[in-house]
Amino acid sequence: MREKVRDINSGRTGNAPPRGQSPRRLAAIVAGDIAGYSRLMEVDEEGTHERVKRIQRDLIDPSIAEHQGRLVKTTGDGFFAIFDSPVEAVRCGIVIQQNMFARNALLEKEQRIEFRIGVNLGDVIIEADDIYGDGVNVASRLESIAEPGEVYISGGIYEQIKHKLVCGYESLGDRKVKNITDPVRVYRVLPDPAALNKTRRRETILIFSLSAILLLIAGAALWSLLLQPYEKARERALVPPAQQVPATSPQYPVEKQAAQPSQPATTVGQSAGTAATHPATPRAAPQDQGAPAAAPATKQAALQGAPSAQPTPAVREPDMNLLRGGTFTMGSNEDITEKPVHQVTVKPFALSRYPVSVREWNECAAAKACAFAATGKDDAPVTNVSWTDAKQYVAWLSTATHKTYRLPSEAEWEYAARAGTQSRFWWGDEFQPGMANCRNCTDIAAAEQPVKAGSFKPNPFGLYDMGGGVDQWVEDCWHKSYHGAPVDGSAWAEGDCASHVIRSGSWKNDQRYVRPANRDSYDINVRYPTHGFRVAFSP
Amino acid sequence: MRIVRLILLAATLASLSSAAHAQGRPAPKDALLYFIWPQNGATIKGGFWCRFGLRNMGVTHAGDDFQNSGHHHLLLDVTEPLDPKEPIPQDKNHLHFGAGQTETRLELPPGKHTLQLVLGDAKHYLFDPPIMSEKITVNIR
Repeated sequence: MREKVRDINSGRTGNAPPRGQSPRRLAAIVAGDIAGYSRLMEVDEEGTHERVKRIQRDLIDPSIAEHQGRLVKTTGDGFFAIFDSPVEAVRCGIVIQQNMFARNALLEKEQRIEFRIGVNLGDVIIEADDIYGDGVNVASRLESIAEPGEVYISGGIYEQIKHKLVCGYESLGDRKVKNITDPVRVYRVLPDPAALNKTRRRETILIFSLSAILLLIAGAALWSLLLQPYEKARERALVPPAQQVPATSPQYPVEKQAAQPSQPATTVGQSAGTAATHPATPRAAPQDQGAPAAAPATKQAALQGAPSAQPTPAVREPDMNLLRGGTFTMGSNEDITEKPVHQVTVKPFALSRYPVSVREWNECAAAKACAFAATGKDDAPVTNVSWTDAKQYVAWLSTATHKTYRLPSEAEWEYAARAGTQSRFWWGDEFQPGMANCRNCTDIAAAEQPVKAGSFKPNPFGLYDMGGGVDQWVEDCWHKSYHGAPVDGSAWAEGDCASHVIRSGSWKNDQRYVRPANRDSYDINVRYPTHGFRVAFSP
Repeated sequence: MRIVRLILLAATLASLSSAAHAQGRPAPKDALLYFIWPQNGATIKGGFWCRFGLRNMGVTHAGDDFQNSGHHHLLLDVTEPLDPKEPIPQDKNHLHFGAGQTETRLELPPGKHTLQLVLGDAKHYLFDPPIMSEKITVNIR
C-alpha cells in the first residue's frame, strides 16, 4: 500500500497509479476552470481552443509540476490537480493566477482568459485518469463560486497554510454549496497583501505630485497676476501640466541603434537562413505599441487628475532581436545528451541580444521583485541567478512593461545560437580563439565576473554571447537526451523539473561548452556564480 | 510568487552578514565523506545508483549557511586539483547536488572511471580542511 501511495506521490515521473485496487489518500485538490468559456468559444472557437491549449502547456502543466503536484484530469476548459502539500497547492494556484494576470494585461477585456480556482483538502480515490470523492466536489464548488482571477480555499486548507504562506486571506464565511450537506468555510486568497497598499501609495504619490503642480501653477498665476495682465497669466498657467507628461513615459536605452551588428545576414545557411534576413529589428512591432499607448493615458490622467490611471514605470527593457523562426536541425552526435539529432520548427520569437545585465537585473531588485541586488560591473551579465530567480525577473519585466516576457525554450535557444548554421560552432567546425568568452579561449584573463556583454563578435542573427560568457537558463526541464522532445519549438515541461536546462557554457568552461548543441542541467533553486539568462517573447 | 520573493529576500538579507566570506569555512575534524555505493574497484553493468555518505556533518541546500553542513559534489574522471580560492567548477565532470541530494543515477560509458565526492559550502567553496572522499575507480562493462 505504502509503495503505491509513493508511486502516486511522485508527480514528477508522471507514472500512472497501479491498476486494480483504487488507493485512497488525503490530498490538496486544485480545481480550475475558465470563466465564460462558452462565450469565448462563441466569439472565436479555433483561436480560443488554441490559446487554452497553449496556456495549459506553457503555464498550467509546468506550474503544477513545479509545485510537486500532479495533473489528474483536464476538461475542455479546466483541470484537476492533486498535491501532497496544501502550501504548494495554493502557491500553484497563485502562480497561475498571477501569470494569467500578466498575460491578460495586453488583451482587450473580451479576449481575456480568466481562471477561477478552488483548493480543498480532502480524502480522494485515485484512478489512472481521474479522481473521485467528496473532496473533489468541494474543490470544484469552491472554484465555481470564485471570482474570475481569484483563488478560493476551504477552511481545511486555510488551517494548514495560514502561518506558512505570507498572503492575505479574506474570510467569506460559511457557504452552502450544491449537493454538499455541511456548509463549507470559504476564504479568498489575496496573493499580495502589499498590493492593495501599493496601488494606494501610487495613487497618493500621483495625487501629491498633481497637487504640487497645481500649487506651482497657482503660485505662478498669482505671481503673474501681480506683474502682468490677467489674460497672459491664464495662458501661462495652462502650459506646465502638459509639459510634465513626457517625463513619465518610458525611457529606452539610447544606444539601441549603435549596438546593432553591421553585417549580420551574410554568412547564413539555407534552411533557417530566412530568419537572418530579418536579423536585428531592435524594437519589434508589439513593443512599440506599448509606449505611445501608455503616454496618452498618463497625459490624460495628469490633466484630469484621475487617480485611477497608474503611470507606466520607466523600465529598462533588454534589447531584443526579432527572429523569424523556421525549421532547423537540433542536437549533435558529440555527446550522449545531445542525441538524437532531430528537426525542430520554431515559431517567430524575440530574444534578448545580450544576456540580462547587472544593471537590468538591479532595476528588478530595486523594485523588490527580484530576490537580491547583484554586484559587479553594471554592463556585465548578471550571475549567481537560479532558475527561480530568472523566472522572477521575467515575471517582473512582464508586469512592468505589460508584455509577456519569458525564458526562451531550449529549442529556441539552440535555433538562435546556431543562427542558420549546421557546423560545430557558428563560425565553422574548428574553434577559433577570440570568438567566445571561455576558459583558455581568449587573452582576457578569467576573473570573478564575465566580461562586459557584447565584447565578442555577434552571431549571424546579431546575438552576442550565445556560447561562452555566462551559462543561460532556459525554460525546459532537464532530460538526459532528446528522446520524446517536442518538435514545435516549445519548452519541454514534463520530466525531471527539479533541474532545468542551462545552455551556452560559461567563461569558466572550455571551448567544448561553447558549441551551440552543448547542454547541461542544474538544480532549479540553486544559485551558482556562472549562471545567468536571456529573455524572450513571442510577438 | 510574490511571497516566495519576499521570503527569498528575507533569507538573503539574513544570510548576507554571515555569508559574506564563504571561502574556507571550518569543518569538523572528524567529518567523513564516503561512497556508500559503489565500492572501490567495483565492476558494474550499465547504469547504477551512486549513494553518498557523510558522517559528523549535515547535508543542506546550497545557499544555506548553517554550521557544519554543506552539499555534495561528484567529480567524474577529474584529474586537476580543486582550487580552494574558487567555487567548485560546474561542468560535465563536476556534478552539483545543491538541492541536498544524497544519491544520483549515473550512466557512464563503458570503461574505467574515477569517482570522488567533495563537500561544498553555501557558496560552493571547499571547506577548510577540504571534505573529500577517497577517489574510487569503477569499471563499467
